Amino acid sequence: MTKHEITLKVNGKLHELKVEPNELLLNVLREKLCLTGSKYGCGIAECGACTILVGGKSYMSCLVPAISADGWDITTVEGLADGDKLNPVQQAFVDNSAIQCGFCVPGMVVTSTALLLDNPAPDEEYIKDYLRGNYCRCTGYVAMVKSVMDAAAKMKCDQ
Amino acid sequence: MTVIGTNTARIDGPAKVSGKQLYSSDIILPNMMYAVTLRSPYPHAEILSIDTSAAEAMGAVCLTYEDICVYEKGSASVVTGPCSRQNEQAVPAMYNERSVSVPNATYRDRTILPRKARHMYEPIAAVAADTEELAYKAMKALKVEYKVLDAVYDPLEAMKDGAPQLYDKIYLGDKEVEIKNNIGVIRKIDEGNCDEGFARADRIFEDDFELPRIYHAQLEPKGCTAAPDAEGGITVWATAQSIHGNRQLLGRALNMPLSKINVKKITIGGAFGSSIQVNTVTPICAALALKAKRPVKLLSSREDDFYSHQKYPAKFHVKLGVSNDGILTAAHVTALIDFGAHQIQPLAFMGCTAGWFASLYKYSGNIRFDGTAVYTNKTPCCAMQGYGNPQINFAIESMVDIICEDMGFDAIDFRLKNYRGVGQEFWGQGPTIRSIIKSCGVEESLIKGREIMDWDKRGKWQDKSGDIRHGLGLARGFHTSGTAGPKEGEVIDYSSAFIKINEDGSVDVVTPVVDHGGGTWDAIAKITSEVLQVPLNMVGLSPADTKNTGYDVCTHATRGVYCGGAAVYHVATVVKEKLLAMAGRMMDEHPYQLELIRDDELGQGVIYAKGYHQKKMTVGEVAKLAQINSWGTIQYADSYRQKNCPPCFTTHFVEVDVNIRTGEITSPRVLIYGDCGTAVNPDLLYGQLIGSFNRGLGYTLYEDLPFDEQSGELKNKGMLVDYKMPTSWEMPMVKNVIVRHADTFEPSGPFGAKGIGEAALASVQAAVTNAIYNAVGIRFHKLPVTPEKMLKALKDGVKEVY
Amino acid sequence: MVNTRILDAEFGYLAPTALDEALDILNSKNKVKVLAGGTDLIVHIKVGAEVEMDYMLDIKRIEELDYVQLREHCCDLDEVCCIGANAKLSRIEKEAVIVERYPALAKALSLMASISVRNMGTMAGNICNASPVADSVIPAICYGARIKLKSADGERVLPLEDFFVAPGVSVIKPNELLTNIALPKPKPHTGASFIKKTRVRPDVAKISVGVVIERDGDKVANCRIAMGAIAATPAYLKSIGDSIVGKTMSEQLIKETAAAAARTIKPIDDNRTTAEYRTAIAEILTADALAEAWKNAGGEL
Repeated sequence: MTKHEITLKVNGKLHELKVEPNELLLNVLREKLCLTGSKYGCGIAECGACTILVGGKSYMSCLVPAISADGWDITTVEGLADGDKLNPVQQAFVDNSAIQCGFCVPGMVVTSTALLLDNPAPDEEYIKDYLRGNYCRCTGYVAMVKSVMDAAAKMKCDQ
Repeated sequence: MTVIGTNTARIDGPAKVSGKQLYSSDIILPNMMYAVTLRSPYPHAEILSIDTSAAEAMGAVCLTYEDICVYEKGSASVVTGPCSRQNEQAVPAMYNERSVSVPNATYRDRTILPRKARHMYEPIAAVAADTEELAYKAMKALKVEYKVLDAVYDPLEAMKDGAPQLYDKIYLGDKEVEIKNNIGVIRKIDEGNCDEGFARADRIFEDDFELPRIYHAQLEPKGCTAAPDAEGGITVWATAQSIHGNRQLLGRALNMPLSKINVKKITIGGAFGSSIQVNTVTPICAALALKAKRPVKLLSSREDDFYSHQKYPAKFHVKLGVSNDGILTAAHVTALIDFGAHQIQPLAFMGCTAGWFASLYKYSGNIRFDGTAVYTNKTPCCAMQGYGNPQINFAIESMVDIICEDMGFDAIDFRLKNYRGVGQEFWGQGPTIRSIIKSCGVEESLIKGREIMDWDKRGKWQDKSGDIRHGLGLARGFHTSGTAGPKEGEVIDYSSAFIKINEDGSVDVVTPVVDHGGGTWDAIAKITSEVLQVPLNMVGLSPADTKNTGYDVCTHATRGVYCGGAAVYHVATVVKEKLLAMAGRMMDEHPYQLELIRDDELGQGVIYAKGYHQKKMTVGEVAKLAQINSWGTIQYADSYRQKNCPPCFTTHFVEVDVNIRTGEITSPRVLIYGDCGTAVNPDLLYGQLIGSFNRGLGYTLYEDLPFDEQSGELKNKGMLVDYKMPTSWEMPMVKNVIVRHADTFEPSGPFGAKGIGEAALASVQAAVTNAIYNAVGIRFHKLPVTPEKMLKALKDGVKEVY
Repeated sequence: MVNTRILDAEFGYLAPTALDEALDILNSKNKVKVLAGGTDLIVHIKVGAEVEMDYMLDIKRIEELDYVQLREHCCDLDEVCCIGANAKLSRIEKEAVIVERYPALAKALSLMASISVRNMGTMAGNICNASPVADSVIPAICYGARIKLKSADGERVLPLEDFFVAPGVSVIKPNELLTNIALPKPKPHTGASFIKKTRVRPDVAKISVGVVIERDGDKVANCRIAMGAIAATPAYLKSIGDSIVGKTMSEQLIKETAAAAARTIKPIDDNRTTAEYRTAIAEILTADALAEAWKNAGGEL
C-alpha cells in the first residue's frame, strides 16, 4: 500500500502526516500525535470511548480511516479546555464527581459537549437519550446526566 | 470542619476530564514495538509445533512456548536455560495468576504460553513488530500444527467418565494434585448440626437458582507496556489491581530477581475484579520485550478481552428450615460452579460463597455447604464485584421472599428477626477469615426504607391490573471490608505506606494501593489530611511502583479504604507523633501539651500549646527548622494489617414496571441504602451505589454469555454489539434514584469507615426479581429475566421459571 | 480471529470530488467498496466478514450528493423529497421537511444506534448494507420510497422494496452507485407510525414495524405495512396492507389485520431474540402501529 499525505487540523493545530489507507484515525491520533485522551474501547462504535468532534459533531474515531479525514477540523478531549480552564461540561463532571475509573470520560465529555452545541437547553430525557451511545460501566450515569444539566444551566447564566 | 465526611472534588478529576490521565495503553516509548497475540482457533487442542520463520522474515519478533525460558522441575527447583523439547524433564514455571491466597491454598495450572489450548481464543503465541498492523500480519503468518481434541462445555457432562479431560495433574502449593473427571475443587463446610436444625423446622423449603456467566466489560481492555533496561531489568505498566502481585508473578515466571522488575502503579480503566489476577497479556508482553530487547506494547482488543475473563456462573440448590414463629433453623446450599479452562481460585471463590451464605442469616448456627467446581473448555472465570456474593445473595434473598410469601411473614420483619448483626460472627473471606460484627446499618435501612418506599402499600400481585404491572421488591446484602481477621487464614492481607512532611508543611504520601476509580486515592489523601491536619490540596499522592513501596496485597475484597486507608492512618499517626516530638523540642513543650490544627488560610497545619494558642509554630516552620538544624525529615514507612473484616451492608428497594403485552421490564425508581460506616466522601459513595445498581440491572435483566457448543465460540463472538448493558437511557430519572447511607461508625476502621464497593451490587438482583414477583406473581429462579422469558411465562401461565 | 483495534486490509484509496469520476471508477475497476459513513463497511472489515476490496471509494467528498431537498420531479415522481447519498442520518432526521412530512422516518432515524453513528452514517449506506433490520428502510418503504441507481452506463429507478435480495445482498450492480432516495409527497389525511423493540435503547431491532395509512373518512384509502428483522430482507407486507383498503377502520379490523400480518412472517432465532418472541410481538406491534397511524391520519377508533 502506498502512503498518502494528509493534513489534519487537531485542536487548532495543523498536522501533516503520511498514512497508509488502513490506518485508523483513532490510532493516528493516539500513537502518532500522542493525543492519548481518546480511547479504544470496542473498535466497532458501540462504546463511545473514542468519540471526537468533527466540525462540532461527535464522531467515533475507531471507524474512520485516517486518510478519509484529510482536511478535517478535529477536536479531541485534549482540546476542549481553554488552556487550564475546563469547559462547562468538564467542570460539571469534576464538581459532581461524575467520574470513576475515567476511561469512558473523554468520550463522555466530548459527546456531552456536542450535545450542548446541538441543544443548549436540554431536558433530562434528551440527555439520557443523547448519551446512550457512550457506555460507562462505573457510575450508573446519574451523576453524568446531572452534570450535563448543570453545565447547561451554567452556560445559560453566563450568557 | 472535617475533611472526612464532606464532599470534595476528586483529585484526579481535572486530569480525567481533559484526557491527561495516563493508562497503561497510553504509554508511548522511543523505539517501541506493538504486539498482538495468536489465539487458538480450537477450544481444545495440543500445539504440536509453531513455525515462526515467515513472521520473522517480516521483521517480527515471536514468542511461543519454546521461548518460555524458565523451567522448574516438579514444582520447586528452578532451572533456567534453553527451553526446547530437549529438556524433557522440565516443565515451564506453573502459576496461578491470582496470588492473594497463601500458596498452600492456591491451585496452579497455567504457564505464560501453553502447550495445549484449553479454551477458544486462548493466547498461544505473540508477535511484535514496528506497527500493530504489521504485527497482526506477521501473526497470521505463523504456522501452527494442532492436534484437535474433543471439547466439553457443560459441567455435568465434564464430570462424566470418558469426558474430554482438560488436565491430568496440577499443583496445590507445592503438592501435585491429580485431576479426575475435570473436578477442579470440592469444598465442604459443615457447622452446627444441620440435621437437627432441619428436624426442628416446622417447614422446609427447597429450590434451585441459576446465574449466568457474564462479562466485566470494564471500559479498558487489558493492556501492558514493558520496557527492558540496560541492566537486564524490566519496567512494566500493566492494567493491575496489585502492582506487587504482578511483580512477584513476573519474577517467578521469568526467573528474575524482584529487584530487576519494576511494576508501575498506573490508573486502571475499571476492573471489577478482573485484574486481581495478573492479566494474561502481562507476562506475555514482558517476556516478548525481554526477547526483543525493545519496549513492547501489547493491548487486548475487546474480543481478546471477552475471551480472557468472565464472572463465575453458579447453580445452587438451597434448603432452608423455618419454624412457625419465623426463625430459620438450618440451611444447606449445594453449589455447582463451571469455572472454565483455568483455576483463578475457585477454591477461594467457593469458600467465600459459603461465607456470604453463612453470614446473611443466623440459621440457628446450622450451616452446610457442598461446593463442586468443574473445568470446562470455556473462558476462565474470576472475581467480579462480590466474589460469589451477588450469586448466593440472589438465591437466599429469593428464598426468603418465597418463605415470607408462603408463610405469611412480612418480608422486613422476617429479615430483622434473622439477620446477623452486631455481636455476631461474619465470615469476611471464607471459613478461615472471620470477625465479630461491630457496626451495622441493617435495621436502619429496613425500617427507614419501609417508610420512604411505602412498603406497606405495595399490594399483592393478584390485585394488580392494566398493561403495565407495577411491583416493589426488596433484598438486603453486604460484603466484607478486606480479608483480615484476628487470626491469619487462607488469604494474605496487609498494606504499606510511606509519608513525609515536606519543608513547607505540605505532605507526600507513597502507597502501593491501586484505585479502581471508586476513589480509594481520594480517601487516602483525606485520611492523611485529617490525621496530619494538612489541607487536602497540600497532600501529594506520589507516583509509586514496586521498588519504592512495601507490599500491598491487592485492591480487592472492598479493602481499599478499610485496609489500605488504615495503613495510611497508622503511618500518618506515627508521623504526627514524630512531628509533635520535633515541635516539642523546638517549642520547649511536652508533645502531649501540643495540639495540631489545620489552618486553611495559611494552607497548612499549626501546632499550638494547649490552652495557650499564642504559642505556636506552623508545620512548615517545624519541618524547615528540622532541616536547617539537620535533625532530619519528619517521615515514616511501615506495613499494617487490619484484624477485622467488618461487613458493609446494603438494602435495595426496587420498583419495576412489567409490560405484560411485550414482557419488557423497566425500573422507574429505586432506594439504595448503604452502610459504609463513616462516608469519607459521600458523593463517591453514592457513585459506587448507583453504578452498582446499573450493573445489577444488567446482571438481572440483560447480560448473558452463551457459548456455541459446536465451535466453542461465544455466541456474541466477543463483540459488544451483542453484549448489551444498560445505558443512560435504561436508568431511572435522577430524582428517582434515591440514595441514603446509614448512620454508623466502624470502631476498627479509619475514622469509622469500612468499605462499600462490592456490597453495592450484592442485593440488586434479588430486589429486582422480588419486585417482578410482586408485579406479576412469577418467580424467576434464573437470570437474566429477559422480555422473551417474561412473555413466555405470562403466555404459558407459568409461575416458576427455571 | 479478528482484531477490532486495527483495519486488517490492504487496498487502494480513491476519493473523487465529482459523481462522474466516482462512476468511472466503479466502471473501470474491480472489487471497489464504497465508503460513505463507514459505520457498516469498516465494522464489516473489522469483524471479519468477507469483504472483497481492492479499492475503497470514498464518496464523502462528492458535494453534489449531499442534500435533502424538495424537487418538482425525480425518480418518475412529482413533488418529491430527495435525499442524497451523502446526507448524514442525523441531518435527515432533523430536516423540517422530514419531521413534518415523514415523521415515522424521522422517528426511525432518531432511534438508530447513537448520535455519533448517525453523524457519520448515511441513509443510502443503511439501504445499501441490505440488512433485514435496516431502520431507515422500514418507514421509507411505507412512504413509497424509490431509489436511483446510477452507473457510467445510465441510471435506473426502483421501488425501495425491490432492492433487497438476501441479508447483505441487493440488486445493485458492481458499477452502480445509489445516488438518491425519493420520497413521494403523502396524500392528505395520511398518518404514519414506526415502532421498534430492542434489547437496550441503542440497538438494532429485535423487530420493527412501520405503517403508513391514507384515510378516506372512516375508511382506509391506502395502507402500506413493512416489518424489519422477521425475514431475510426488509419485508413489505403488501397483501396485508392492500387487504384493508376500502374497509371501515375499527379495533376489530386492526386486530384481524395484525393477526394476519403475524401469520405471514417466518422469523428466526438470533443473538437479539427468538423466533417465538418475534412472532408473539409482531401481532401486538402491528396492532399498535396501525392504531397509531390511523390516529395520526386524523381517524378515530
